[in-house]
Amino acid sequence: MNGDKILIKIENLQKSFGSLEVLRGVTTEIRQGEVVAIIGPSGCGKSTFLRSLNLLEEPTGGTITFEGVDITDKKVNVDRMRQKIGMVFQQFNLFPHMTIRKNIMLAPVKLKLMTEEEASRRADELLERIGLPDKADQYPNMLSGGQKQRVAIARALAMNPDVMLFDEPTSALDPEMVGEVLDLMRELAKSGMTMIIVTHEMGFAKEVATRVLFIDEGNIKEENTPEEFFAHPKNPRLKDFLSKVLV
Amino acid sequence: MLQNLQDRFYLNFIADDRWKYLVNGLKTTLTVTFFAVLIGILLGFLVAVVRSTCEKTGKLKILNAVCKLYLTVVRGTPVVVQLLIIYFVIFGSVKIDKTFVAILAFGLNSGAYVAEIIRGGIMSIDNGQFEAGRSLGLNYVQTMIYIIFPQVFKNVLPALGNEFIVLLKETSVAGYIALEDLTKGGDIIRSRTYDAFMPLLAVAAIYLIMVLVFSKLLGALERRLRNNERR
Repeated sequence: MNGDKILIKIENLQKSFGSLEVLRGVTTEIRQGEVVAIIGPSGCGKSTFLRSLNLLEEPTGGTITFEGVDITDKKVNVDRMRQKIGMVFQQFNLFPHMTIRKNIMLAPVKLKLMTEEEASRRADELLERIGLPDKADQYPNMLSGGQKQRVAIARALAMNPDVMLFDEPTSALDPEMVGEVLDLMRELAKSGMTMIIVTHEMGFAKEVATRVLFIDEGNIKEENTPEEFFAHPKNPRLKDFLSKVLV
Repeated sequence: MLQNLQDRFYLNFIADDRWKYLVNGLKTTLTVTFFAVLIGILLGFLVAVVRSTCEKTGKLKILNAVCKLYLTVVRGTPVVVQLLIIYFVIFGSVKIDKTFVAILAFGLNSGAYVAEIIRGGIMSIDNGQFEAGRSLGLNYVQTMIYIIFPQVFKNVLPALGNEFIVLLKETSVAGYIALEDLTKGGDIIRSRTYDAFMPLLAVAAIYLIMVLVFSKLLGALERRLRNNERR
């Protein structure tokens, strides 16, 4: 189901905060159409890894090649590159001073990728797709957590990204709202979107991901298809981790 | 008793057109306050942007140092002293309009306080807002303009309003450089009529009314901004 085209190539990626080494030479590739789930104990560097991919964290070593361009090169226009990489945050980060419609329209309009009318129409389409067509003119604080996260996904999709990064998208949600967000992500995966997801939802990773990465102590300790990954973990730390999180 | 008050009123305000001292003084006070507020906002905003950009990105280090020096000096010395220094030292050897000097002094002074209010407002916005903007491909300036500042403005409005009320009243020390503002106007009347009660009370009442009107306007603006969010 995944094409052969390599979308992101990560080589020897390192990141330190002062003397604290968070990423210690991560190397992997993300191919077009892949849904990669990243799991690992808290503080293992999985969020830092994800946030490095669109340079929200600036790597201290190694390279990230996105669509053939080394984005760690200082000369690369980071903003242009980020337009192609959607990101969804744990805390939603919707803009509270704008309506839902304006939240979705902001980037495409201000970056002159769409006219107001086009962006507004696109917002309506996306709201229809995420099942919230009636919320267009409301403000974020009137929505539930699950609705907010769905809007955040729509906002990222409005830029027509080539890849979507999810940083623990359901961790801040009440349990009864996790399902609606996962449903949307499942639908997104089916549509062929390349996705990289840091998550604690093992069931979701097992079901939707095409590949699962286990990150521990700043590096990928194991990666495999979800079937193999969960049924026959090899790394002792992963075995230990899975025995703690899976009931 | 009543006759006495009427006489004093006549003496202080009507005779020799003395009310003109108050009216002209009021005009001066309002002029100085208005332009000082403009300078204060402009300067304060610039300083706040430099300071918070330096704190967020580590750039603009030299400008940031200059801003810090400005804040230290202005906040560390009394406004009267600043006013006197600007008038007698900096412009000591040239003939210069006192109103201009007062505007400059109060504007420079207010800018320091406005800067810290706005910087506090910028730093109080969750960093996630900033990251969300950048992750969509907006650059630093666009993120600031479309996402951060609108939220900052709403949050700092009460503190800014307070700063302007303080400024309005603070201009009353402009008499130190013999600028005939509202307070000085009342004082001139007092020196002519040897009556302190009437002119000074009138001056106090005028300040109070101005502050009340301003507070009302500000309250209305705040409510409008809040309504925007929960309809």
